[in-house]
Amino acid sequence: MKLTRRAVLSAGVAMPFIGRAAFAQSNTIAIGALTPQTGAGGSYGPSMVKTIRAVVDEVNAAGGVLGRKVELISENDETSPEAGVRAARKLIDVNKVSAIVGTWASSVTTAVAPLCWENKVMLFTVSGADSITQLPHQGFIIRTQPTSKLQSTRIAEFLLSRGAKRTFVMSAQTPFAVSGFNTVNEVLTAAKTEVLGHVIYDPAKATFRSELEQAIKTKPDTIFFNSYTPDLTTLLRELFRLGYEGRKHTMAYAANAKLLEALPAEVTQGLTSMAPSPDVDSPVYKKVCDILGTSDPDPYSCQTYDHITMALLAIAKAGEASGTAIHGNVRKVSQGGGTKIGSAVEGLKLIAQKTEVNYEGASGPCDFADTGDIITCKFRFDIAEAGKNRLLGIS
Amino acid sequence: MEVVQILVNGLMAGTLLAIPAIGFTAIFAVLRFPNFAVGGLMAIGAYTGLVANTMGGLPLLATLPIAFLVAGLIGVGSDKLMISGLRPSGPLAAAIGTIALGLLLENVLRFIFGNEFRTFNIPPVRDWRFGDLRVPPHQVENAAYAIAIMAALFCFLMFTRSGKMMRAVADNAALAGLKGINATRTTDLATFMGMGLAGVGGVLIGLDVAIDPLIGTRTMLAVFAAAVVGGLGSIPGAVLGAFVIGLGEELALLAVAPTYRTAVGFLAILLILSFRPRGLLGERRY
Repeated sequence: MKLTRRAVLSAGVAMPFIGRAAFAQSNTIAIGALTPQTGAGGSYGPSMVKTIRAVVDEVNAAGGVLGRKVELISENDETSPEAGVRAARKLIDVNKVSAIVGTWASSVTTAVAPLCWENKVMLFTVSGADSITQLPHQGFIIRTQPTSKLQSTRIAEFLLSRGAKRTFVMSAQTPFAVSGFNTVNEVLTAAKTEVLGHVIYDPAKATFRSELEQAIKTKPDTIFFNSYTPDLTTLLRELFRLGYEGRKHTMAYAANAKLLEALPAEVTQGLTSMAPSPDVDSPVYKKVCDILGTSDPDPYSCQTYDHITMALLAIAKAGEASGTAIHGNVRKVSQGGGTKIGSAVEGLKLIAQKTEVNYEGASGPCDFADTGDIITCKFRFDIAEAGKNRLLGIS
Repeated sequence: MEVVQILVNGLMAGTLLAIPAIGFTAIFAVLRFPNFAVGGLMAIGAYTGLVANTMGGLPLLATLPIAFLVAGLIGVGSDKLMISGLRPSGPLAAAIGTIALGLLLENVLRFIFGNEFRTFNIPPVRDWRFGDLRVPPHQVENAAYAIAIMAALFCFLMFTRSGKMMRAVADNAALAGLKGINATRTTDLATFMGMGLAGVGGVLIGLDVAIDPLIGTRTMLAVFAAAVVGGLGSIPGAVLGAFVIGLGEELALLAVAPTYRTAVGFLAILLILSFRPRGLLGERRY
C-alpha cells in the first residue's frame, strides 16, 4: 500500500476521535441502572438510582475498580415492558454495560431478561414473580426480592393471624397474579378458611366498580389486593363508596406514602401491607438511611445498593469487567466463608489483597440459590392509621 | 336484586356516555365524517376540569362550562389547522386525520401532566343503600348534570337560529346553502359544540373514574358504538345508543368476567351494521 500525503493527513485528523471512542470503551466500567422513574413504580425509581449512584461515587473516589472508573448509565423503564426493552437495548448495544441493575416490575424484568442472557449481561432485579427465575437465564439473573410464592405464603399466614375466615382476592394482570393467588388459596384453604373468589383486572382501567361489586356480593371479611399504587388508589376509593367495612390487605409497594397522601385517611384506615424487610439492624442499612436522608428507606433502594455493590465486587474478583465475569463470581463475593464486609470499597481492598469476602447487604445476607433466587429474607407488616403507616412487626 | 343493581349501573353509565356520543354524532351530522379526535378532546376537557377544580379551586359545576369552552375552542382550532385541509380528499382521509389528531392531543397531555391517574378534589361519599341496592350519590349528581346538558342542547337545536341552521345543514347541506346558510360558520359551530360536549363528557366521566391521558381513548369505543347503534348523525339516536351500550356492558357481567366487558361495544357495532346499518333511529345508510 502506498502511503500518500493525503492518507497521512487524513489519519492524523481522524486519530483523536478514534482514540476518544476507544478510551470511552476501555477506560471505564459501564454499568446500567434500569429503574422506574415514572409509572406505577415511579415513586421508587429515584431513590433506587440515588443509592446506586452513591456506591459508584464512593468507589470512584477510592480509585475505581481494577484501576478504572465506574460509569453509571441510568435509564427509565417507565414501569413498562416496551420502554424497558428499548432502554435495555440502548444500555447493552450502545453503552456496552456489563450489568443492568434495579429492574422493578416483573413484566419489565421478564421482557428485559432474554436480552441480558443472550448478550451475556448480568441482570440484578427486585422483581418478585416466580416465573422470572424459571426462565432459561443460564445464571444471568440475580434476584434480591423473595419469590412471589414465598411472599404469598407469608401474606396468607398473616391474613390468618388477623382472623381472616372469608377472603376474596383481586389481582392486577401481572406475571404473578395466578401463581400468587394459587399459593394464597392453598394456605388459606389448608387452614379451613374460605377463599370466595379471584378477579384478575386490567390495571390500566380507570374504574373497577364492577369488579368490586363482584367481590362485595360474596360478603368477604378480608379482601387481598395484589395491586400497584395507581390501581389500588382507585380500588380503595370505590371500595369506600361501596360501604365495605371488612379487612383489606395489600403489598407495601402499593400502600406507599404516595397512596396514603392521595386518599383521605378514612379510605385507607386499617389497610395492612407486607414487604420484604431490609436488614434493619445491619450497618449497611444505616448507610442507605444516610444516603437517602430517611430513617425508613424502601426495600428496593436497599436492594439496589446491594446490586451495584455485588456487581462491582464480582468484577474485581474476576479481574475483568464483563457480564460473564460477574456471572462467574457474584456468589464468590456474596456468600461462603470469606471475611464479612458491608461496603464495596472495603471489599475491593480485601479482594486486591487476595482475601476472600462475603458481602452482607442492606437487604439481607445476599445469599443466592442456583436459580438466582435469594435464600432468606425477613418481612415487615404495616397498618395504615390516620393516613400513616404504623409498623406492626418484622418477622 | 342483582339485575336491578346492574340496570341502575347501566343507566348511570349510559347517561354519561350520551354526552360525548351526542358530540360525535352532531359533528358527523353536519360534516359527514367520523371525528375520532373526540377521544382526545374528552381528555382535554377532563384535564381542564381537573385543573380548574384542583388548582383553581372552582366547584364542579363551574368546571363544566370551562371544559366546554376550552375543548370547543381547541377542537375548532385543531380542526382548522389539521383536518379542514383533508376534508376535500374525502371522509376517509379526514377520519384518519382525526385519529392522528386525537393521538397528538393525548400525547400533549401526557407531556404536560404525565401518565399518572389523577382525581378531582372531592371527598369520597358512601353509596346510598336501599336494601342491597347501592346508588352512588356522585353518579346521581353526574347524571343530573348530563340530563340538564341534554335538555339545554335540545332547546338550542329546536329554538335558536344557530340550532336550526345546524339541523338544516345536517338534513340537506346543498339546500341549506341555496337558502343562504353559511356552511363554514355552521361547520365551525358544529365542531365547537361537538368538541365542547366531548370535553364536558370527559369531565363527567373523569368525576366517576380517575383521569389519565387515555381517558378518552378508553371510552371512545363505547362512544362510537353508541353513535353507530343509535344511527350516525341522529342526536336522539346517540342518546338511545348510549343507554343500549351502557346497559349492555353492565348486563354482560351476568355472563362474562368484567375484563371482557368492552367486547360489548364491538359486538353492538357488528350486530347493528349487519342487521340495521342505519342504526336504531338513523334515517339513511352509510
